[in-house]
Amino acid sequence: MTQRFLSHQELASLVAELLAAKTRVIAPVRAKDDPEQVEYQPIQSLEDAALGVRIPRRSLKEFFLPPTEVLLHYRQTKTGVEIREVATVAPPQVILGALPCDAAGVAAVDKVMNWDYRDELWFGRREATTIVSFLCSLMDATCFCTAVGLGPESSTGSDVLLAPVTGGYLAHLVTPKGEALLQAHGSEASEATLAAAEAAQREARQKVEQNLAAIPAEFAGWLASNFDNPVWKTIALRCHGCGGCAALCPTCHCFDIVDEHESADEGVRRRNWDSCQTALFTLHASGHNPRQSQSERFRQRIQHKFSIYPSRFGEILCSGCGRCSRNCPGGMDLPTIVGELVAMAQAKPEAGGQ
Amino acid sequence: MNIYQPHLMRIREIMDETVDTRTLKLEFEDPGIGQSFQFSAGQFGEYSVFGEGESTFCIASPPTRTGYIECSFKATGKVTQALRRLSVGDTVGFRGPYGNHFPLEQMKGHSIVFIAGGIGLAPVRSVIWNVLDLRDEFRDVTIIYGARSVGDLVYKRELEEWAQRGDVKLCLAVDPGGETPDWKGLVARIPTAVEQTVATAVDTFALICGPPIMIKFTLPVLEKLGFPGDHIYTTLENRMKCGLGKCGRCNIGPTYVCKDGPVFTAAQMRALPQEF
Repeated sequence: MTQRFLSHQELASLVAELLAAKTRVIAPVRAKDDPEQVEYQPIQSLEDAALGVRIPRRSLKEFFLPPTEVLLHYRQTKTGVEIREVATVAPPQVILGALPCDAAGVAAVDKVMNWDYRDELWFGRREATTIVSFLCSLMDATCFCTAVGLGPESSTGSDVLLAPVTGGYLAHLVTPKGEALLQAHGSEASEATLAAAEAAQREARQKVEQNLAAIPAEFAGWLASNFDNPVWKTIALRCHGCGGCAALCPTCHCFDIVDEHESADEGVRRRNWDSCQTALFTLHASGHNPRQSQSERFRQRIQHKFSIYPSRFGEILCSGCGRCSRNCPGGMDLPTIVGELVAMAQAKPEAGGQ
Repeated sequence: MNIYQPHLMRIREIMDETVDTRTLKLEFEDPGIGQSFQFSAGQFGEYSVFGEGESTFCIASPPTRTGYIECSFKATGKVTQALRRLSVGDTVGFRGPYGNHFPLEQMKGHSIVFIAGGIGLAPVRSVIWNVLDLRDEFRDVTIIYGARSVGDLVYKRELEEWAQRGDVKLCLAVDPGGETPDWKGLVARIPTAVEQTVATAVDTFALICGPPIMIKFTLPVLEKLGFPGDHIYTTLENRMKCGLGKCGRCNIGPTYVCKDGPVFTAAQMRALPQEF
């Protein structure tokens, strides 16, 4: 991985160049409706950005999988139906100041979107986007990225990772896309800069590590063999089934497909965010529902993130951002719940499911 | 290519099966796609009525008959009711084929017992015609089909055709109370019909499709007859949207019905979490 020093001034001129070239630049900004809150939004100048202020209230997911998007346009004609295709190529954009957990969330969904069938709508946006993350210093008591194999210094999903140092940033150029972005910017990093960045990384990691210990690899197998453990009945009692956790989650990617009329003869087929936490999600036309109660639906959420996805793709479908816990109206705290389940798994490693 | 983009198909024929179940014969608008389109028995697709949405059904016609596909559906939800309002010549969308299929190659040279209940005959029918179109490559063919009542039996024209054939053993059954005065088949539920009809499991595969309750009570009968768990095949269905392993709703524990299925052996089904 190439490393380079980037001064504050150089970052500002990079952003100015991108904006001048009509590249969309997205960064954390103060939310219009609530200046206490920060959200990822397109910026017009680097001064708009609120970098390193607060964890953005939503993840980066919406820039790759919009909450609603058109899959096709249709038109009824006298002789049949005409379909107008949507573009799968997206205009270039740079995301500046992403949290490493949000970048990692996007990388986790990549694997689903490329599983045998390649979702070109997703990858059209992925390929057009360069993600510049910041070494995270915003962790609170709910963060647990280090427990899921990531960390505040993790470069997973990022093209560039910037670590703040005196006078600017140490830039890790993670991918060829990242190298291309900073080709004409920055200078060789001094030993002092490298040492300062390393110290900052270590310190950041330690802060998160106290929240939840690393989830052991055996946890996935324990979950799979404890599908019928009575713990699922009690663990979900506080869950309202609102699905807010899924909307805020950087890795939740479930969607619905619906048609919408726009006039008598024309309309669109849309993909909308959906959540496994609602009863309708799995309801059959016959009235049969494989997941009838909230405990079954919450079990699905935990099983998918910590066992089902890991068994297919070798990692956890959670980047430890903590948004689900911070925003849950029922007080469902994922790190606490996972911590308890891990403790159960470790207490009885031989226990079967029945 | 946008993987959610459907092919356009025209309805060439409409066949009413029961009071609420209908079969559509569909042809690709683009003759090139019609010629190159291939699938295997057991695979499914996403059928759509533009403006109403998509719905998941198996392909009910056999892959040995090319140039068209058929689907059978019961008017239950928004899309199936809209499909029912369409006429011959109307356009529908189709994405597919998706999922795995029945192991036709593995079954060659063996006997097959087909067991179906209600509209569960649709996926089985694709295999039945596939086997009958290649009849010499298989040994004994037994079809056991039942429904709640005589009126609920689907593909009645074909049931008659199979009854006439000398190379098929057909057993029809209706639930007690579902018979008519002229009913000549069994008055029994499927597990009983299987007990009375199937003599041996030697060199035989069983394909079973129908309501979960029927499968639940028929599997022990097949096992008692000596069918090993990997010689009994069924198809599972779950609510689906994409059919491509992305939308996240058809999984049963770690198993995605759309990608790992819809065809499973009884042994595979037993190993799944009981959440279907």
